[in-house]
Amino acid sequence: MPKILLVEDNEMNRDMLSRRLEKRGYTLVIAVDGGQGVALAKSELPDLILMDMSLPVLDGWDATRQVKADDAIKGIPIIALTAHAMESDRQKALEAGCDDFDTKPVELPRLLTKIEELLKKFPPKA
Amino acid sequence: MKSLSFRWQLILFILLTCGVTLSLAFAGFYLYDLRQFNNDVQSRLENTQMLLLENLVPRLEQNPNDTDLHLSQLGVDGQIAAAAVYSAEGKLLARYVRVGMTEIIPPLPRVTRLLDVSQRGVLWTPISSGARPLGTLYLKAEQNEADRDRVSNLLRGSAIVFLVSALLAGAMAWRFQGRITEPITELARVSATVQRERDYNERVQTTASGEIGELIDSFNAMLDTIQSNTSELERARVAAEDAHEKIIQAHDQLEEANRTLEARVDDRTRLLAKAVKDAEEASKAKSSFLAKMSHELRTPLNAIIGYSEIMKEDAEDDGEARRAEDLDKVLNAARHLLGLINDVLDISKIEAGKMELFVETFDLTKLINEVIATASPLVSKKGNTLAIDCPGDIGAMQADATKLRQMLLNLLSNASKFTEKGTVTLKAVRHIEEDADYMELSVIDTGIGMTPEQLTRLFQAFSQADASTTSKYGGTGLGLAISKQFAQMMQGDITVTSTPGVGSTFTIRMPAKVLTKQPKVVNNTTNKLTRSPFPSANRPKILVIDDDKEIRTVIAELLSMSGYDVVEAASGQQGLEHASRFVPDLVLLDVMMPGIDGWTVLSKLQDNPKLTDVPVIVLSGVGDVEMAMSLGAASVLLKPVDASRLTAEIATQLSPLPKCYVLLVEDDADSRTLISRMLEREGWQFRAAINGNAALRTLKKSTPAMIVLDLKMPGMNGLELLEILGKNPIWVKIPVVIVTSMDITQEMRDVLTARTLGILRKGQFTREQLAAHIRPAVQACALAET
Repeated sequence: MPKILLVEDNEMNRDMLSRRLEKRGYTLVIAVDGGQGVALAKSELPDLILMDMSLPVLDGWDATRQVKADDAIKGIPIIALTAHAMESDRQKALEAGCDDFDTKPVELPRLLTKIEELLKKFPPKA
Repeated sequence: MKSLSFRWQLILFILLTCGVTLSLAFAGFYLYDLRQFNNDVQSRLENTQMLLLENLVPRLEQNPNDTDLHLSQLGVDGQIAAAAVYSAEGKLLARYVRVGMTEIIPPLPRVTRLLDVSQRGVLWTPISSGARPLGTLYLKAEQNEADRDRVSNLLRGSAIVFLVSALLAGAMAWRFQGRITEPITELARVSATVQRERDYNERVQTTASGEIGELIDSFNAMLDTIQSNTSELERARVAAEDAHEKIIQAHDQLEEANRTLEARVDDRTRLLAKAVKDAEEASKAKSSFLAKMSHELRTPLNAIIGYSEIMKEDAEDDGEARRAEDLDKVLNAARHLLGLINDVLDISKIEAGKMELFVETFDLTKLINEVIATASPLVSKKGNTLAIDCPGDIGAMQADATKLRQMLLNLLSNASKFTEKGTVTLKAVRHIEEDADYMELSVIDTGIGMTPEQLTRLFQAFSQADASTTSKYGGTGLGLAISKQFAQMMQGDITVTSTPGVGSTFTIRMPAKVLTKQPKVVNNTTNKLTRSPFPSANRPKILVIDDDKEIRTVIAELLSMSGYDVVEAASGQQGLEHASRFVPDLVLLDVMMPGIDGWTVLSKLQDNPKLTDVPVIVLSGVGDVEMAMSLGAASVLLKPVDASRLTAEIATQLSPLPKCYVLLVEDDADSRTLISRMLEREGWQFRAAINGNAALRTLKKSTPAMIVLDLKMPGMNGLELLEILGKNPIWVKIPVVIVTSMDITQEMRDVLTARTLGILRKGQFTREQLAAHIRPAVQACALAET
């Protein structure tokens, strides 16, 4: 099954989203800040990254830029999760190199559609 | 002669006349006398001649050459000085010269014919016997002493008479000239005095009659007139001096009043500035509080929603249908709450001016399909059918897709809320015209519809069509207000038409290509500009006060193109200076300026008597409308201002008022539009004013046939306006009809009933009811005009 790296600092959000995705058969890797997210992307080589933008240590935009600057992992699609109605955040996310975005609070069916689309576009190597 | 006085001239003239007359008389007399004398001599000569001839003829008959003729004895009397006889051949026969005298006897003249014109006292006579000539007789009379004395005596006598009569004439002239010259010299003296001393009290005293009398009477009458005119002039001058003094006093009082007024204005301005600052700070605080609260509320809510979803999924998996249903209710409630919180956040962002646009290019069909997918469960909930009417080739759109999605969902959700077992249609049309390319997205329902009164409050934040709506249908009532703001942010708008019991149609109209960076004024050349209502020769002057140079330039260009002269001011201070100096026909005023801000400028303009009637159009943000109106703005345009809307508003403000127009005084834009349409449909000329202050400005220009008056308005309200109308003898006669949504107390009703034609409740009157109030007034006015 595809492996998803979820970078999210809020414990409840992390818990909910990971449980629901796991329930749908995805393998989840969890990071609680941007730095850890980049490190896990390198070590775990996930098939997709769900990146919250407002993160401690290293924020989502910088983390995305680092991932996209690394030849080994730049092929991993990233979905930015931004707060409601923060268009500037969304634009910044796309500029930083995110492949898609979704708003928080997460509407699971919509997010699942986006995940599936991206996985189709960037099929897992293994 | 000129230097001689009139009297001497007159005396001289009389003497001259006298002299000439006397001289002529003398000449005549002398000539007559001379002739008498000559005749005497002649007759004497002729007597002598007769005697001589009697003696001579017989002698000469005997001997024609007889020389012994004895002339001296021939009775030649003493009066003959000389005598001679010539023969027929001309030979001197005899001569006689009186003793003691020397006389030359002339030879016989050859031409005897000349004898007739002989010398005086000389006589040549031919001697003849029958037809035979015998010779010629020459006689010369003596000039005696007495004759000589006669002439000298005559001259002497004449001189004496001349002198005596001259003296007599002179004396008489001297004696009588006074009668003629006196009045004239008096006249000359008086006129000289008048001229010299400007004393018009002098009069010419005279008893003179005739032309001089008349002349003097006229002169005196002229002096009378001059005197009365002069005294009148004097009185006028004194009066003018008094008036001038009073004016100076009044001016001083006015200046004093002005100083007091200025001080009061300054005080008020300071208070106002503080109030504005406080209000702005409060508004900012409110917005940031709301934003923060919304965020704080959303975090736990997200957890509630998320965990409820997980639990619901688990329950469904476990086959616990009942628990799943309960959790579904929790979820719905939570989602609803989230929606409300998001609305509040949106509206606070809009009010704080922090709402951003994220313009992207997208396929409209795709967006509509997404919206339908989300909305169809909602629509079908109450047994409604969702119909789509969208051409497949409608094409791409450039706008904020998220906001457009939110707007469409809001309209669809509203439509399904108020419609049962009906049809909700989503219709999309693209209009490509010569000067515009825009999308029209309509949501049409067959629901309960709305009354005109409900429509007027529809787009106001925190207000639903009816208070009971909230309890029955839920919602904050923010959705439409937000959607309208979104539409306006994207240079579009949302309009609505509705009929109670039939349904409503909400239409979003916005450009197919929304401009990303919005200037305050959209100088979109595709927009239609309204030209100045005056011919090009008479360009109205508009003062543009804005600290932003770019905007000033854009507006100046726009107005210049539309037929206006523009004066630019880069600050509030400069704006006030320019306004006093140029006294423009209209002022365009930006609110947010460093230093003296727009509010201060507006209130100072309103407090300047010279400028109070100059309409001011305020360019402001959403929250400023009431403030602008209460300070006396003629009109308020929200930023970003559309070029066509701006020029249309300016033209309306400046265009001359039609005759027999209806003055509509109403602060609420939607209500104003509604009543305006009613008046338009009746074919009546009208002018809308946003409050009492603006209405007064219009009233001062021309008296309307009728006033349609709202009561509750920022700035001068309806009751205050009525009070002012009541104090003016002309305005008090203008019929007034009240249109209000206010609850009217009995006391107020008594006042209004006495003063107005009637009170119409907003949203509860038909066009005909309104027209019935207005029609008689307009007709009466039209009748009076013809």
